[in-house]
Amino acid sequence: MKKYLEIAKILFKAQMAYRFDVAMTVLFTVTKILFAYILWGAIFAQNEVVGGFTFPMMLSYYIISSFLSQIEMSDGVSREVSERIRGGTFSKYMVIPVSVNGYFIAQTFGTVAYYFIFVAIGTILWVLLFGVGFVITSGILTILSTIVIIILGLLFMIQLNFFLGMLAFKFQDIEFFLMIKSNIVSFVTGGLVPLMLLPQSIVSVMKIFPFYYVTYLPSMLLIGKNEHEAVTGIIMLSVWLFVFVLLNKITYGKMRVIYDGVGI
Amino acid sequence: MKNNLRFIQLLFKMKLQRQMMYPLSFFGATLVDGSLFLLWLLMFETIYRQVDSIGGWSQGQTTIFLGTFSLLNAINMTVYFFGVIGIPGKIRDGELDHYLTKPVNPLLRITFENINIGSAPLILLSIGIIVYGLSLTGIRINVGTGLLYVFFVLLMVVLYYDMEVIIRTFPFFFISANGIQWIEEAAFDLCMRVPGVLFKGLFKVLFYFILPYGIMATIPTQILTSSVSWQMMVISIGIVLVFSVFTQWFWRFGLKHYKSASS
Repeated sequence: MKKYLEIAKILFKAQMAYRFDVAMTVLFTVTKILFAYILWGAIFAQNEVVGGFTFPMMLSYYIISSFLSQIEMSDGVSREVSERIRGGTFSKYMVIPVSVNGYFIAQTFGTVAYYFIFVAIGTILWVLLFGVGFVITSGILTILSTIVIIILGLLFMIQLNFFLGMLAFKFQDIEFFLMIKSNIVSFVTGGLVPLMLLPQSIVSVMKIFPFYYVTYLPSMLLIGKNEHEAVTGIIMLSVWLFVFVLLNKITYGKMRVIYDGVGI
Repeated sequence: MKNNLRFIQLLFKMKLQRQMMYPLSFFGATLVDGSLFLLWLLMFETIYRQVDSIGGWSQGQTTIFLGTFSLLNAINMTVYFFGVIGIPGKIRDGELDHYLTKPVNPLLRITFENINIGSAPLILLSIGIIVYGLSLTGIRINVGTGLLYVFFVLLMVVLYYDMEVIIRTFPFFFISANGIQWIEEAAFDLCMRVPGVLFKGLFKVLFYFILPYGIMATIPTQILTSSVSWQMMVISIGIVLVFSVFTQWFWRFGLKHYKSASS
């Protein structure tokens, strides 16, 4: 555990070298909020309630989901794994005395911890600047279960991205595939539009998959909705996390032997 | 002019031969951007399930807007995007030397040296979205309106190109212009999803006149749905002209500040 804590600490410190990237990430939390403010502002100018949301609720949803998307930095795992396999430098992770999967979990948590501080400051600033009537739940139990769901969601996304990154062992160039995955994930996690607005039959299907619980459910819980789904969220994410940890263990064991370390 | 066209044809042939070597990534850009626009279409479908109009725009109009932006993006990706994005790297590494010593306009060569035919199916997908939007509005298009729409789409392709070149000319003056490119990305991403008619006040000034991504798909859509004034069309032509003249001047001005490999 100590080894992984050290990895997280190093990655936390390493972010200080990328101050410009951090500043830009903070600055761009505004684009999603601006999108919601303009688009939904026009919609709510003609309607008081849409799909059970008031305007302040809708803006609060986008602010929270934007914040969660910004700190959900697991995308870097699939990119790093696939690029290193393709370039032949993945050997680095095979020789260090830690589990490769554990290394990437620690790396992501170290990075997220650093960004968390600044993205939170940025988000608060935008809320104040836009004069949003921010809606947030006051239920301690809801907030605590949301934190658990957010952490489980991040862990699941790291596992998913680790798995996708490993596909490079087999297919070499998976860059376009990862970009398509990002597009789809942004929709199915409720990043484009609250999933509650979709037809009920589609939402029911989505609840079987983990993406529903990664960003959408925590955002809804924090604005005081869907509180009855908190326990389901924790169970579903735990199950999916377990499945992917197992899948990654088996896949890595099989794939690592076909890696030649030459690179192209 | 004739020589330039022959030169572009030659670049196209060479690029096509190179692209065929990597069949898997050949249609990559089409799949990535195609999935993006289809998901946005789904996003608006979801919103229109709840409301009849957004800022006075029906689902059909918004669909045409998305299709038009997709079309602009598709033409950009097919013709010049993969060439123009290389400008900052060429300036930074001094690679632009090779372009300056050749008897061809360097910007012309950079623009057309990476034509990506693999993105062309995106044009068909975009036309499909526009036709779907038209069927939703129930509007019948006459030849005059159709031609005017095509003319304005081509104008906006030029404006899109101008914006890309302007932003990638900044590295002549600063070592890294990543920040400006990030602003471009954010503004573009916003204007692709928000019809220009929804911008008010300061945002309208910003996205119509300073970073004019807001007019790119909005004006052609308004032409097709007969909801644009002739004054707005004239203003749009003026904006494209001003930005085109500025692009040429700014590029030449940047070249004067090029410090070759030492930059």
